[in-house]
Amino acid sequence: MTFMKNVSGFAGAIAATAITIAAAPNAHAEALTLTDIAGREVTLPEMPDKIILGEGRMMYSIAAITDGNPFEKIVGWKDDLILYDPDAFRKFEAAFPEDAARMINFGNPYAGDFSIEAVLEAEADLVLLDVGNLFKAEETGLIDKLDKAGVSVVFIDFRRNATENTVPSLLTLGRVLGEEDGALEFVDFYMAEMRRVTNVIDQIPAEEHPLVVIENAAGWQPDFCCWSFGPYNYGRFVELAGGKNYGSTLANAYSVDVSLEGIIEADPDHIIGTGANWAEAKPEVTATLLGYEGDPAVNAEKIKALASRSGFDELRAVKEGNYHSIYHQFYNSPYHFIAVQQIAKWLYPDDFADLDPQDTFDRMHAKFMPYENSGQFWLSVGTAGN
Amino acid sequence: MSADTTTPLSAGEIVGAYRRRTARRVLLVLLAALALCTTILIDIITGPADLSFLRTLHVIVDPSVATVKEEVIIWDLRMPVALMAVVVGAMLGVAGAEMQTILNNPLADPFTLGLSSAASFGAALAIVLGFSVIPNVGGLLVTVNAFVLSLFASLALFAFTRLRGVTPEAMILVGIAMLFTFNALLAFLQYGASELQLAQLIFWQLGSLARATWPKVGICVVVLLIVLPYFLSRSWALTALRMGEDKAAALGVNVSLLRLMVLAGVSLLSAVAVSFVGAIAFVGLVGPHIARIIVGEDQRGFLPLSALAGALILSGTSIASKAITPGIVYPIGMITSLIGIPFFVSLILSQRKRHWQ
Repeated sequence: MTFMKNVSGFAGAIAATAITIAAAPNAHAEALTLTDIAGREVTLPEMPDKIILGEGRMMYSIAAITDGNPFEKIVGWKDDLILYDPDAFRKFEAAFPEDAARMINFGNPYAGDFSIEAVLEAEADLVLLDVGNLFKAEETGLIDKLDKAGVSVVFIDFRRNATENTVPSLLTLGRVLGEEDGALEFVDFYMAEMRRVTNVIDQIPAEEHPLVVIENAAGWQPDFCCWSFGPYNYGRFVELAGGKNYGSTLANAYSVDVSLEGIIEADPDHIIGTGANWAEAKPEVTATLLGYEGDPAVNAEKIKALASRSGFDELRAVKEGNYHSIYHQFYNSPYHFIAVQQIAKWLYPDDFADLDPQDTFDRMHAKFMPYENSGQFWLSVGTAGN
Repeated sequence: MSADTTTPLSAGEIVGAYRRRTARRVLLVLLAALALCTTILIDIITGPADLSFLRTLHVIVDPSVATVKEEVIIWDLRMPVALMAVVVGAMLGVAGAEMQTILNNPLADPFTLGLSSAASFGAALAIVLGFSVIPNVGGLLVTVNAFVLSLFASLALFAFTRLRGVTPEAMILVGIAMLFTFNALLAFLQYGASELQLAQLIFWQLGSLARATWPKVGICVVVLLIVLPYFLSRSWALTALRMGEDKAAALGVNVSLLRLMVLAGVSLLSAVAVSFVGAIAFVGLVGPHIARIIVGEDQRGFLPLSALAGALILSGTSIASKAITPGIVYPIGMITSLIGIPFFVSLILSQRKRHWQ
């Protein structure tokens, strides 16, 4: 029996190969097998052309690797881009007004859930999910149910293990979108720009790395300090930029809640808060409103207020002008090499005198993005107003 | 607590026994107060920053000698937190004690009756939707929403029970119904929350002393100073109520008026407490039970000791939350139970008789 099965299996394989070869000229009918960030092997029966994004902010990557209209194959998304980075959304809206209006809204990405009916209603053939939703998608049977309906699920990640997963995620996106060339080009750019920092940092002994505290979403909660990162995301960006991340010294976790007293005692060399234009969704935030519509005059006031919060005003880092603020959304985008460059420049102004992150960001927009760079993405309290 | 005797006692012996009981009660309250002073002190001298004991005391007594760093750490960061823990613990202890008394139910506390859930829901409204119950409160949005919703829940509790006449069973059931209603509404909002909003919500739901400031401590002290003396002034009536509604009425207590007044006080206490530190379970429930096991039902001992027990639990929690990993802030709600339960269980086990009658 076993022998028979094997033989028939083998014969089946030959037949399948023959069919594949026969169908080869039609590229769109060709099955695409890939391994996604969750380590799942996914086979797409043909190139997807109706894709749903598990997060609106996936457009950061898609726009960067797509030649032409990045919305071409996208039918819907979740509304995080509109709510939490309205500046970027308006950039897309201005460039592709009809497409931005046509996007079906599937709700909140953090709910981690999808209405399967709505996905089928949109006649989608692929759902791209953030790897953070893997557990939930498995628990609720979302993957199996979509699979049964002929909709594939592919996981990508630009947040959890941002620096590790960005290149494979870009490559995966390139394959499912049929934009391999664009993806490879962007990966080249990404690697070159990352190496401009890490090649220098490699020469600096670890014990000379300055201590850096990351304040995640500084000013989001007016009366509480501070959310920070362990050796992930912005915590990792700091480490790659040659800093010793305070959160990493406390816990090996993605998110760490640090106390202000701990920060005062640690006496960091630099403090870096993250900010974005949250004021539209949440008017009471005191964060710096960084992004494509960031106004230097407004943000200079905002960062001054953040740096003069009780307890902060006496910190050495603040007094020495080393209280900085940077665009929060770098934490969930493939552009985080910009953050790494700017942090490196803050930590080692002499070693990186020739590095101009603004120029890097401008070049990136010119080369890859469907719109021009604008606004403000970082500033320091000492140099506020630059 | 009193010794069981079968032979009749002379008047002199009864008076003597009463005096001894009173003296014992005063002693126990003093002991608890002393223990509390110790935990406050420990709370203020511990922290990630390495400041010596004597230096800390010196800075507290004479702030002018402090360096700026010491002043910020001790006066702006440690003392408000340490005192907030004590005051909020006392508020929750008192609120729980009187809820158990007027509702004649050992499981009553601001948490089980939905007042904390209402506050959480109010906070979530502010955090997730940015919706303000009272317009133009700016940065106080979350606190004000929590307070208003919690008071609203108490008012609803009032209103419902007025409809049917104030029976304890009705109040408990309405309270539980509200608990589930607000939890369900809260879940709705959580479902729509972003990553940052979720982090803020979860931290808020588990309670946190990290937001303590002097003005908040001041407000809590004022509320406690208004409500606690009133409760103490009614301690005879409340003690009588614990013997049974009929007996209390026979002794001349206006039971339904007493219930309403006490519920108003309890609402104020718990609404203020939870709106500043978030939902903290356990303290309001177990603090009074610890007090009851130690001194019994007489409100003159039970009420102060409930306050002290609540304060002790939360003060101990504050110390423990700093000690786990210096520099990291843990939500206190998840530590309170761990701190209080060993003590609570040992008390229950050492006390074989029924302490709730």
